[in-house]
Amino acid sequence: MSRSDVLVDADWVQAHLDDPGVVLVEVDEDTTAYDKGHIRGAVKIDWKKDLQDPVRRDFVDRHGFEQLLSERGIANDDTVILYGGNNNWFAAYAYWYFKLYGHRNVRLLDGGRKKWELDSREMVTAVPERPRTSYQATEQDPSLRAKRDEVIAAIGKQNLVDVRSPDEFTGKLLAPAHLPQEQAQRAGHIPTAKNVPWSKAANDDGTFRTDDQLRTLYQGEAHLDFGKDTIAYCRIGERSAHTWFVLHELLGLPHVKNYDGSWTEYGSLVGVPIELGEAR
Amino acid sequence: MSAGDGCGAPAGGAPMPASASGEAVIEGHVTRGGTPVPAGYARLLNDGGEFVAEVPLGDDGGFRFFAAPGTWTVRVLAPGGVNTDQTVTASRGHRTPVEVSI
Repeated sequence: MSRSDVLVDADWVQAHLDDPGVVLVEVDEDTTAYDKGHIRGAVKIDWKKDLQDPVRRDFVDRHGFEQLLSERGIANDDTVILYGGNNNWFAAYAYWYFKLYGHRNVRLLDGGRKKWELDSREMVTAVPERPRTSYQATEQDPSLRAKRDEVIAAIGKQNLVDVRSPDEFTGKLLAPAHLPQEQAQRAGHIPTAKNVPWSKAANDDGTFRTDDQLRTLYQGEAHLDFGKDTIAYCRIGERSAHTWFVLHELLGLPHVKNYDGSWTEYGSLVGVPIELGEAR
Repeated sequence: MSAGDGCGAPAGGAPMPASASGEAVIEGHVTRGGTPVPAGYARLLNDGGEFVAEVPLGDDGGFRFFAAPGTWTVRVLAPGGVNTDQTVTASRGHRTPVEVSI
């Protein structure tokens, strides 16, 4: 798999805006940005309302995903291009989610909404009308998603990659610094986890670093054993989806899972080990 | 949305919570010739230069971070290749203002 199979740049998107087999999807937790302006032809997916079960903490089920994509006018053979704010965190999460439910051709717009805006490219407010489809999803692929028991069993055995900021990793902060810090969880990280903040995989404009730079980051600097299975986590699983994308899709590691329960689950569990401070 | 179930950064930064006495807030605006700059991003870097957070600027060019006591850098990115840094010291229970002119 090459980089162009999973990632496209802004010029590519500009050139394919009117391609009927290409569907642009803006994904974010707060979709007011989409409402103010988005790439022409893009439909929106609300990370919370559309992708999360409204009652329990889990994803919408297979049928719910089929309904969502059918309603958005996305067909099984469409090439889906995902992008969003927050340096593509939620778009990367949606990418992982689309893969989980078996969509074949999905790619990320490198740099997402930020790069598009910093380039001063065209944004529109018109919402496209796409005819309804009959989307068929597969069952969730369990090889991509880690659950808590598996994470606990992986301590000291697999690569655990904590992709939060160093201050969240050491326990100084409980959430990203754009959010209030008073939270219910304990601070710290999962023992034996390595801290490789998601941001190290990206340039200031949100685009991914080169494959060579990424390999140096994870293998050379963080000493990840590429021969072992890997689980990535953050606070709620979107920043770690960004790292899952880097490790599994860009670098081609075969066994990488995203732990979407992440710190808001792990840091609330009774009796599990927690480490504070720097990685040991 | 509460911080517990989300992680995204709203434009301008999250609103101040009703009780924020324990927060070390860094907040301000980005202007160009006295006019607010709504198209751009503010990033917060720690004292080692590592990325900590980023918010899109609000309609009034505003941004807000909930940091910890210490020294931080606010970096502003805006169309036209703008990339400018400002150092700021935050302390608990205070709202430290940062005004950035680009």
